[in-house]
Amino acid sequence: MDISQDFFSCYGLSRDFAIDLDGLRQAHRHLQQQHHPDRFVSQPDSDQRQAVQITAYLNQAYATLIEPLKRGIYLLQLHGMDPLVPTNTSMPLDFLLQQIEQQERLEDMHQAQDPETEMDTMAFELQTQASQLETEFAQAYSSAQFEAAETAVRKLQFIVKLQQQLNTLEGVLLD
Amino acid sequence: MALLQIAEPGQSAKPHQRKLAVGIDLGTTHSLVASVRSGQVETLPNSRGEHLLPSVVRYLADELPQVGIKAQSYLVDDAANTVMSVKRLMGRGIEDVKRLGENMPYLFEACDQGMPLINTVSGLKSPVQVSADILRALVQRGESSLGGELVGAVITVPAYFDDAQRQATKDAAQLAGIQVLRLLNEPTAAAVAYGLEQDQQEQGTIAVFDLGGGTFDISILRMEQGVFEVLATGGDSALGGDDFDHALAEWMRHQRQIPAQLDLAQQRFLLRLARAGKELLSHKQTTQMSFSGWPGGADFADIELTREQMNLLLDPIIDKAIKATKRTLRDAKVTIDGISRIVMVGGSTRSLRVQERVSELFQQPLLTDIDPDRVVALGAARQADVLAGNQSGEELLLLDVLPLSLGLETMGGLVERVIDRNTPIPVARAQEFTTYQDGQTAMAIHVLQGERELVQDCRSLSRFDLRGIPPMAAGAAKIRVTFQVDADGLLEVSARELTSGVAASVQVKPSYGLSDLQIADMIKASWTNVEDDRSARSLREQQVEADRLLEAVTMALAEDAERLLTASEQQAIVTQMEQLVVVRNGQDHHAIAKQIEIMAKASDAYAAMRMDDSIKRALAGKSVDQL
Repeated sequence: MDISQDFFSCYGLSRDFAIDLDGLRQAHRHLQQQHHPDRFVSQPDSDQRQAVQITAYLNQAYATLIEPLKRGIYLLQLHGMDPLVPTNTSMPLDFLLQQIEQQERLEDMHQAQDPETEMDTMAFELQTQASQLETEFAQAYSSAQFEAAETAVRKLQFIVKLQQQLNTLEGVLLD
Repeated sequence: MALLQIAEPGQSAKPHQRKLAVGIDLGTTHSLVASVRSGQVETLPNSRGEHLLPSVVRYLADELPQVGIKAQSYLVDDAANTVMSVKRLMGRGIEDVKRLGENMPYLFEACDQGMPLINTVSGLKSPVQVSADILRALVQRGESSLGGELVGAVITVPAYFDDAQRQATKDAAQLAGIQVLRLLNEPTAAAVAYGLEQDQQEQGTIAVFDLGGGTFDISILRMEQGVFEVLATGGDSALGGDDFDHALAEWMRHQRQIPAQLDLAQQRFLLRLARAGKELLSHKQTTQMSFSGWPGGADFADIELTREQMNLLLDPIIDKAIKATKRTLRDAKVTIDGISRIVMVGGSTRSLRVQERVSELFQQPLLTDIDPDRVVALGAARQADVLAGNQSGEELLLLDVLPLSLGLETMGGLVERVIDRNTPIPVARAQEFTTYQDGQTAMAIHVLQGERELVQDCRSLSRFDLRGIPPMAAGAAKIRVTFQVDADGLLEVSARELTSGVAASVQVKPSYGLSDLQIADMIKASWTNVEDDRSARSLREQQVEADRLLEAVTMALAEDAERLLTASEQQAIVTQMEQLVVVRNGQDHHAIAKQIEIMAKASDAYAAMRMDDSIKRALAGKSVDQL
């Protein structure tokens, strides 16, 4: 197994945002079965070490492709861009205002009458926003508008961050 | 044509002979060894037909140590040389042990690595050595039952065991001379014992509810076409069936108004009474608790204990386990109705009330057919059979996750996470760091495990230095630190400076820091302390920034203030610096950020002057051609 190839190739997928997630899961499981260190317990140390490397590579590949945000960033990185260190850091004003609003809403959860319902509603809205951005990214990427794709993925980063914060908050408030 | 087969006596002549491998449940109170024999998986008894080996070792002056029931009988008479519950000491430092160990009758001494050593008549013993003695007894039992040498063993560990604890367990096996085929998480072993992976069509999410005497673990596993994945683990390392006994004993004491100061014999009497009552009520509705033989002189009347009354006493304790279960489900991003199977593990799940409550929570029947004390060892034995190569090998592949996040210390005592908790292993991650000071030639790498933002709240795993970095401006060096975790969850860290190629690495050996309780608390605290942590982090970040600025300006002033600045310009900058020092030592990160900005403005013009000056000097005496 060649661990220098890109993550899409190792699963036999074409380099695209829209991928067959079930196919990815199956391919990943199949490769794990073949290369997991447990398969090499009675083999020489060098084989075991290689198995650890390959499996670590597969785990990273899978974690990257299964998450839409990471997949998007990775696609742009393969294209030679780095959305994590963007060249153009300005974001549309209305989007930033919306983020500030959502951030405040998150902070107000502590005082909410019925935090569980509020959090569920917000989680649903964030999921909708995320799906929209994923669609935006997919369209931009497939029509080779990489600047627009980068903007979409950076917006998605904000939303995913909010989702994580909401998740953590759920742990705190619902205990 | 086949060649003539030659075999020495006792050596295997049959090419398809099964390789002998065992599964070992190395438990806090007792341990078991199990194996697959003629297609059947079973725990192996000793010559007296006993399956459970008490995890107790007694050391003698000139003889081999005693392990098991015999050692257990000396727990009172030879307390100082008879070691129990050693699992709680595995991978722990002397400081933790002192904190844990108020009721441990041993004399501890610290060795140079900070590992606690128990002073016995047969010399100093580390927890690793004591565990090795238990493992040796189990391996001997395995070899004599199976009639041959073992190729190796699968040893189970709690899913929350950190790197240090896993490493200590592996060290113990090595010391006992047994090859570890795999360290396997206890909940995963339990699911395997039920053969849940055999429903090839089925994909499901499994909850493993493990309530032992003193610990509670809940794990959420996903199983799909024979592949197990641990989605999340949680629990409470200070919750178990012993709490039931204490609650019942306390209740009885109140009922008979016995003063709270009990001696050891009285405590034992009440606990024994509580345990007996608890067991009777598993098949009766009511029972009489008799105080005859009370070691305190006074006579007390019998107490009637009904099942309802007992349930009232147990419920608050079970509530804690239910709460931890819900939290772990959230952690795994799974809802109650997403759980397809519930595996019950640990002696305390024999309690009917526990079964009722858990079944009620999940709204479905539980898996309780296999003896909850043996289920983990049985699962480990199945996995050992696969790893030894006795099965075709396609069926069972266990994928595990990292129990606690791994990270590095950065400036200001902050933890930068490199690998998040619950990431599937094996895994490799690299992160880049840079130098903080001009001309810095070495960097200390401090590896940490835990969920909190500050170094002091996490467990310190290891420290090493990367030396020989060529002197560069602050921030110019690129240091890539790589974490590699293998299938047993053991960590190796390496660091490399990318421009020069200097490298250093370390196989993480524990520097021994925290107790079980603290690990569970660390996870819990990461939930409750999110807000505190965030402001603590902001404060530290601003302090680091302030220090950086102060240092840079101080150095600059020392170098060329006299030449470039008037006295009043100099004074203006110094005033702002003094002000920054004052707020930097305070607690308000907003104030520090603001003062940093003010000071940066105050020194802006000076910075520009220095820049011009250095260009002028660089150009001095050079012609355009030379540039």
